[in-house]
Amino acid sequence: MPDKTDVWQGTLALLVLKTLESMGPQHGYGIARRIEQTSGNRLALNYGTLYPMLLKLEQEGAIASEWGVSDNNRKAKFYRLTRAGRKQLERATQDWQQATAIVARFLSSEEA
Amino acid sequence: MRQLRALWARLLGVLRVRHGGAEIGAELESYLQMHIDDNLRAGMAPEEARRQALISLGGLEQAKQAMHERSTLPWIENLKQDLKFAVRQIRRSPGFAVAAVTLLALGIGSVTTVFSLIDTILLKPLPYPEPSRLVIPWNVPPPGVDVGGFAYTPWSPVHFHAIEHETKAFQSIGAFEPGDFNLTEAGDPAMLQGALVSSGFFPALGVQPAVGRFFTQEEDTPGHEREVILSDGIWRSRFHADRSIVNRTIRLNGIPYTVVGVMPRGFSFPRASEMPGDFDFPPQTELWVPIALPAVTPRFTPSELAFIARLQPGVSLEQSQDFMKQYAATIDRLHPEMKGWSASQVLPLQRQVAGDREKPLLLILAAAGVVLLIVCFNVAGLLLTRSLGRQREFTLRAALGAGRERMLRQLLTENLMLAVAGGFFGMVVALAGISLVKDCGPANLPRLQETGPDLRIFAFASGVTLLTGLLFGLAPALGAARVNLVESLKDGGQKSGSGSSRPRLRRALVISQTALALVLVIAAGLLGRTFDRLLAADSGFRPAHLLTFEISLPTTSYPDRDRIARFYQRTLPLLRAVPGVESAAVGEDVPMGGATESGVAIIVGRQPLKDHRYPIVNYTVVSPEYFATLGTRFLSGRDFLDSDVLDAPPAAIINRSFARKYWPGQDPVGERLLIPSQKIPATIVGVVADVRHLSPREQPAPEMFEPYTQNVWPSLTLMHMVLRTRAGVDVLPGARAAIRSVDPAVPITHVATLAALTSDAVAQERFSMLLLGFIGSLALLLAAVGIYGVISYSVGQQTREIGIRMALGAPRRQVFGTIIRRSLSLALLGIGAGVIAALCVGRAFSSYLYGVTASDPLTFLAVAMVLAITALLAGYLPARRAASVDPMQALRSE
Repeated sequence: MPDKTDVWQGTLALLVLKTLESMGPQHGYGIARRIEQTSGNRLALNYGTLYPMLLKLEQEGAIASEWGVSDNNRKAKFYRLTRAGRKQLERATQDWQQATAIVARFLSSEEA
Repeated sequence: MRQLRALWARLLGVLRVRHGGAEIGAELESYLQMHIDDNLRAGMAPEEARRQALISLGGLEQAKQAMHERSTLPWIENLKQDLKFAVRQIRRSPGFAVAAVTLLALGIGSVTTVFSLIDTILLKPLPYPEPSRLVIPWNVPPPGVDVGGFAYTPWSPVHFHAIEHETKAFQSIGAFEPGDFNLTEAGDPAMLQGALVSSGFFPALGVQPAVGRFFTQEEDTPGHEREVILSDGIWRSRFHADRSIVNRTIRLNGIPYTVVGVMPRGFSFPRASEMPGDFDFPPQTELWVPIALPAVTPRFTPSELAFIARLQPGVSLEQSQDFMKQYAATIDRLHPEMKGWSASQVLPLQRQVAGDREKPLLLILAAAGVVLLIVCFNVAGLLLTRSLGRQREFTLRAALGAGRERMLRQLLTENLMLAVAGGFFGMVVALAGISLVKDCGPANLPRLQETGPDLRIFAFASGVTLLTGLLFGLAPALGAARVNLVESLKDGGQKSGSGSSRPRLRRALVISQTALALVLVIAAGLLGRTFDRLLAADSGFRPAHLLTFEISLPTTSYPDRDRIARFYQRTLPLLRAVPGVESAAVGEDVPMGGATESGVAIIVGRQPLKDHRYPIVNYTVVSPEYFATLGTRFLSGRDFLDSDVLDAPPAAIINRSFARKYWPGQDPVGERLLIPSQKIPATIVGVVADVRHLSPREQPAPEMFEPYTQNVWPSLTLMHMVLRTRAGVDVLPGARAAIRSVDPAVPITHVATLAALTSDAVAQERFSMLLLGFIGSLALLLAAVGIYGVISYSVGQQTREIGIRMALGAPRRQVFGTIIRRSLSLALLGIGAGVIAALCVGRAFSSYLYGVTASDPLTFLAVAMVLAITALLAGYLPARRAASVDPMQALRSE
C-alpha cells in the first residue's frame, strides 16, 4: 500500500468545496470517502482534519448544514454549497490553476 | 470579511458550548456508524468492522477537542474558566477581597482625583478655538527696577496704540483691564465685576457671543463706548435669559449703556485665578464694555492694562517674542521718555492660566502615586500571605498537569479581577473626591469648575488600574506559580517553619511602605506647620473683630472729589456712632483684599536713582483712624487728622519698608515726597508697620498713604470701609442704615471679615495641606495595616512554636513582648529609611514652606513618634493573640 499523503489545509478547503459542487449535498463521511476515492486512495482523511475544516467553512458561510437521513437510513448532517461558497470555489480554483501553472512553468524552465 | 464572519460565529460558539458539544458528538457518531456499515457491507464481522473503523479514524476524543477548539475561541474559554474560578476563590475569602478592593479603591481614587485636577489645570486645552495660538504679552519692568516685587507691570495705552494694528505676528490683539460697574436696575443695585476691553479682545479669543454681536471698532473710541456685553450668568439671573435684551438700554454707574450681546455660558475671561496676583482682576468677569483708550494719554496712567493676542497661523512663540522686542525698540525711539519700559514676555495663555501651580500639583500627584505604590505593596503582601495558604492547591494542580503558564495566567486573572473591582470603586471614590474638591477647593485654583468626570479621567483610571493589577499581582503570581512539586509534596501540607524568601520579601515591603508613609506624613506635617505659621504671621494688622465692605459711589451723583470726600466725611461719624462699632475708617484697599495701586514717588531733595529712575511704591488713599482701626502700629510720627484737608499742607504716611529702604537708620518724618501728578510735595508725617496685601508670606514692598481729603487721584468712587467691632455684635444692619441715611442709592457689597480675607489668602496652602494631610493619613493607615498583616501572619504561622515555648515555661509577658518588639523593629527600620528619604526629598519641598525648615526636627520627631505608636497599635492585637495561645490547643492543632 502506498503511503497515504496528508492533505494540507489550503487544498483541503478546495477539495471539500469541489466535492460538494460535483456531488451536491453530502454528509461528512461521504465527503471523506469521495476525496479518498478520487485521489485513488492516495489521500488520507480522518475526522480530526475534516470536521474542523467543515466547521471553518460553515463559519465563513461557504457551506451550510442541516440534519438529514443518509441512503441507508442513518441520521447524518448534510453539507451543501452556498452561493458564497460557489464563488469561493471559483476563485480558489482559478488561484490554484494559476499557482500550479506558474510552478509547472518554473519547473520546466529549470529542466531546460 | 470571511474571517470576521468566522470570528463572529466562534464568539457565538462560546455562548452555546454545551449544546454544540452534544451536536459534535452526534455528528461524529453518525460518521463512525456509516464507516462501520461500509465495513460490514464489505463482509467484516461486526466486532472487526467497528475496530477497523475506529483505527482508521484516529482518536474520537482528540477529534472532539479539535472541533471544540475550532467552534469556539479557546482563549475566551480559558478566560471564562479563570474568571469563574477567581470569583469562587474570592467568595471563599471575602474578608481578603474586601480589604484588597478597599485599599485599591482608595489608592486609585486619590490618584485619579489629583490627576483630574492636573488634567484640567495643566493639560486640557483651554475652551477657546485653537487655544495654542493664544498668548499673553506681559510688560516686564526694566531690569533692576523694583516695582513692588511684581514680575509684570501694566501696559500703557501708548503701547497699545502702537501695536493694535500690527498683523505681522498677531492675527488680532486686544487690550483689557478690570472695572466695576454699579447696575441700578433689574432688582437691587448691585456691583458687577466687569472688564473694559478693546475691539480686538473677543476676536483674539475667538469666542462668538451666544446672542447679539461684538463691539465694532467704531464703538471702541472715546465718546462712543456706551455698549455692553453681558455674561450668561448675569443675563439669566438679572434679565431672565430674555433674548430681546439686545439693543435695550441698562444703567451702569448711572450712565445708559446699550446691550449688544450676551456671551456663551462659562465664558468669563479674564478671571483672577488665571491672571498674575499683582493684577486686580475679579474672580469672574460678568460684563464687558469698550475700553475706548484715548489717543493721547498721560505717561504712567494708573491702570491694570493687559493684552491678549492670537498668533498668526504658523507664527511661533519665539517669533512673536522677537517681534515684541523689535516693537519695544521702535517705542523706545518714538517715546524716549519711556525708554526701557516696553520690554515684554510673551506667555502662552495656557501657561498663564496654569500659573505656577504645576510644581505643587505634581508634588501632590507624586504623593498620591506613592500612596498607590504603598497600596500595591500592601495588596501584594496580602496576596503573598494568601498564596502561602494556597500552596497545596497549586501543588495539586501542578501535579495534575497544569502548565506553569496556565497557572500564572489564572493567578493574574484573579489579581486583575481584584484590580478591576478596585478600579471601579476607585472611580466612585474619585467622583466623590472631584465633587468635594469642586465644592471646597480654593477659589483661586483656575478652571476648577471645568473639572468633571470625562473620558480622559476614565481612561487614566483604567490605565492606573491595569498597571496596579500587574504591579501588585505579578510578583506574587510568579512566586506562586513556581511550585517545587517534590518539596511541596514532601511537606505533605505540614506548615513547617515559615519558609524562607517570601516572609523576607513581605518584611521588605512593609519596611518600605512604612518609610514612604513617614515621608508623606512628614510632608503633611511640614505643610501643616507652614499653614499654622502663616495664620500666626504678623501681617501688620489685627484681623480679629474687623469687618469690611465695599462702597461704590455712582459717578453721576459723585462726579468730583469734593462730593466724594463730603460723602465719607458725613458717613464716617455715623458709622462710628453705630452701637458695637469701636472705630471706623475708609481706605482704597484693605489688607488681604488684593493688590494696591502703585506709582512713582519722587523724594524731594534726593537725586533720582541710576538711569533717572524714581522709586515705584504702592500707593493707598486712606482716612484718619485707618491704621488705628486695623490695629497697625505707628513706628513714629502721627496719624492723618481731620485737619489734613485740601488747603492744609499735604501729608503722607509711609510704611516701614519704605523708610528702611530710602532712609536706613533715620527717621523720615519731615521728609517730602512728590507724586508726579501732584503739584505740591507731601510731607511725611508718620511711619507705620508693614501691612501685607495678598498673602502673609509676601515680601512687604515700600508703600505710601495719603489722606482721602487731600488726594487728587481721579477716582475714589470705590472704597473699602473698615469697622472694628466689639466681639459678638452684628453691626451690619446699623452700618447699612447709616449709609442709607446719607444716600439710599449707594450699594454695600463684598461684606467680609478680615479674618475671612486672611483665611482666603492662604486658601491654596490650606488646600495643599488638607490634600496632603488626607494622603498622609491614608499612608499611615496603610502602613499600620501592612505591619499588622505581617505580624499577624507570622503569629499565625508560629502558633505551634509559641505553644511549645509556653509549654516549656515561657511567661505570657515575654511572648507578648517578643511580638511587640518584632513589630517595633519593623517600624524602626522603616522610620530610619523614611527619615533619610524625607531629608533628601525635603529640598524640593522647601520653597512651599514658611516659618519651618524642610528638616524641622520637631516635625520629624513628632511624626516618627506617631509612626512608632501606630506600629505598637498594629502589633498589639497579634501580640495579645500570641500571648493568649493555649499551649495544649496549639500543640494539638496540627
